Amino acid sequence: MPQGTHIVEVPLNINTIWEFVHDMNNWAPLVPGYINHEILSESQSTWAFKGDLGFMKKTVKLKIDIKEWNEPKEVIFDLSGLSDNFNGGGYFLAEPIDEEHTKMTGHLDITAGGMMGAMVNQILTNFVPETAQELTDNIVKKLLEINLVK
Amino acid sequence: MIIKLMIVTLSKERKGDDFLFDTGSIQWDKEVDVIVLGSGGAALTAAVAAAENGANVLVLEKTHQIGGTTAYSGGVPWIPLNHYMKEAGFEDNREDAITFIKRLSLGRADDHMIETFVDKGHEIIKFLHDNTPVKFTTPLSYPEYYKRMDEALKNGTRSLDPAPFDLNEIGEWGALLRQNPIFPPLTLEEGGAVGGIDFQLVAERMQKNIVTMGRSLVASLFKACLDRGVETLIETAGKDLVINNDGQVIGVVAETKDGEILHFAASKGVILASGGFEWNKQLIKAFLKAEITHPVTPPGNEGDALMMAMKAGAALANMSEAWWYPAMVDPTFEYEDHVMAQLGSGRNGPNSIIVNKYGRRFVHEGTTYNDMPRSFFNFDPVKMEFPNEAPVWLIFDQQLKDSQLIITMMPGDPAPEWVDQADSIRALAEKIGVDPDGLEDEIRKWNEYCEQGEDPDFHRGTIQFEALTTGGGSPENNLGKIEKGPFYALPIYLGALGTNGGPKINENGQVVDFKGEPIKGLYAAGNASANPLGPIYPSAGGTIGPAMVFGFLAGQHAANLAEQPAVNY
Ligand SMILES: Cc1cc2nc3c(=O)[nH]c(=O)nc-3n(C[C@H](O)[C@H](O)[C@H](O)COP(=O)(O)OP(=O)(O)OC[C@H]3O[C@@H](n4cnc5c(N)ncnc54)[C@H](O)[C@@H]3O)c2cc1C
Repeated sequence: MPQGTHIVEVPLNINTIWEFVHDMNNWAPLVPGYINHEILSESQSTWAFKGDLGFMKKTVKLKIDIKEWNEPKEVIFDLSGLSDNFNGGGYFLAEPIDEEHTKMTGHLDITAGGMMGAMVNQILTNFVPETAQELTDNIVKKLLEINLVK
Repeated sequence: MIIKLMIVTLSKERKGDDFLFDTGSIQWDKEVDVIVLGSGGAALTAAVAAAENGANVLVLEKTHQIGGTTAYSGGVPWIPLNHYMKEAGFEDNREDAITFIKRLSLGRADDHMIETFVDKGHEIIKFLHDNTPVKFTTPLSYPEYYKRMDEALKNGTRSLDPAPFDLNEIGEWGALLRQNPIFPPLTLEEGGAVGGIDFQLVAERMQKNIVTMGRSLVASLFKACLDRGVETLIETAGKDLVINNDGQVIGVVAETKDGEILHFAASKGVILASGGFEWNKQLIKAFLKAEITHPVTPPGNEGDALMMAMKAGAALANMSEAWWYPAMVDPTFEYEDHVMAQLGSGRNGPNSIIVNKYGRRFVHEGTTYNDMPRSFFNFDPVKMEFPNEAPVWLIFDQQLKDSQLIITMMPGDPAPEWVDQADSIRALAEKIGVDPDGLEDEIRKWNEYCEQGEDPDFHRGTIQFEALTTGGGSPENNLGKIEKGPFYALPIYLGALGTNGGPKINENGQVVDFKGEPIKGLYAAGNASANPLGPIYPSAGGTIGPAMVFGFLAGQHAANLAEQPAVNY
């Protein structure tokens, strides 16, 4: 199962991070290769993005189901392909280090199914951890940007 | 070295005359015996041959990856009389091979070039087998495309399947080998190009860095180059030929991706092996019968060699030809910032036809990929138009959708949104802008033919290629009604696996001028040259076969400076 976890320390209070993360509209555009997203309900949304697999780019559409919002520390979600055969999930976890610092963990796992699953999963082996890292880093960068401006 | 120079330049800044004369000195950045432009099959075979014959060789590659279209391809050469065939128990003979090529080329190739190809090709393959890591197998289940023609080889195949190759063998160059997003790492025989494949094996090969097809061919040729001390520079494009006052090509002006201009001297020759011109709109417009809107090749082949050769006074041949391909598109896939033109599929399937904008069939849909698009160029002198101009439409029904991989759609998967579909033929026609009356009538007729078991209009179900690996065309294999909705339509574009017109070469791979005299020091091979066999694609490997053979002959001749003895096979 292709998966990746990325941990960063953010020099911000956990509540500041939650304020940003709990609204998907804030961070959806930070998904690498983001094209668009649509919020269907409190817990459901659809996303389109162009995944850079190195040797080619693939546009995929997927559905995100938020399974848990655990304020102020955790968002857990499931994902499934709308245009392609894959499933998975992920989470963001924020843990306070002190008043001014938070440990942030981003995790993503995606598994392709169907006849081509074995092959596609091999292709995703690098893609998934890279995406998890890039997304987490993008969120942190954005958080710092916003909060430095304030 | 002080020489009187004539630089045949392609640089945009150039003003005035076609040739720049420089009576001063050139500060050469490097001096070698042989320079090869490009790093595809023609180029690397040329480099191996030149180095094998003692030359100091420099390969220049324009893009950031080695291998060109060859790496992206099936990597299959078509070589009559090759020893692998013999080992597999297939008979072949010289006269049959020559007769067959002549039959296909319809008088548009020189006999001595055909003979050179047939006589030298198998020797070169044997040389590579014995002396380099370039190995092949005979794809037993992959017959000749024209098997049912009288002149064709009936039993066996002249195609060769590159053996799996461990990419780790070329060290860090492995990461620079052009990726192949079209074929998984399986051999032709294992189903790499026809489907029914073992995805587990694919995953294992990917993990272990084992490559096949075009990537195997390029990687193994590259290893042979490394073993012979050939130097390669990537992101360094050949721009101009340097020609001395005797009309001899003595070097190359190159440009790096950062715009640095470099001068490389070649004491024995320059070999143009930098592919065709399918990515150059201006040249396409100037020479081809219609616009290739969807090259199936990786970007990079922009006719640089053609322009250099033209300016050096080369005779040209085969200029209106390409290795045609009816390309299809899954718009969700991109390769190097272009929506990727794909090989597509489904047109051989029983429950499908191809129609023009009038909703009319116009060709045997299952003929070879090189032949079928030739029907796009038919001219109607009354309507004053090309009625079959691409895009044309593949029309099929749910039965085909359920039974075949079509572009990237697996049987059983829901139809993606980029496929037009409708519950009736009429509605489908309206959706895609095709004449609904024409399409309804054509499908009615097609369904009648299927009932009769015969297609009197275009003879579907009669040729080998339309059911290549499953016994050849037959009414059972290829005639099937279009009757079960929903009905689907996919556009088919004019694509190409490369162009094959260019500077005319002789039996040594030397570029000749309009009098047929060799231009001293200038060679060409592969898609950078005119196909020495004329406008033909004899079977799988029909392009890489001659590219390797004449690439080898060019490298050998350049290294030996004409009369010297050839390398021993
Ligand atoms: C999907 C696919 C499958 C195919 N399968 C087969 C097959 O199995 N058998 C077969 O016979 N044919 C096949 N073909 C066609 C075949 O791949 C090409 O015809 C063949 O590889 C051309 O070889 P080449 O060496 O002439 O050019 P290429 O392999 O295209 O190499 C040319 C190289 O020159 C470089 N270049 C361009 N300009 C410059 C410059 N100015 N300076 C330096 N470098 C330059 C390019 O970047 C490129 O790397 C296939 C094609 C495709 C697209």
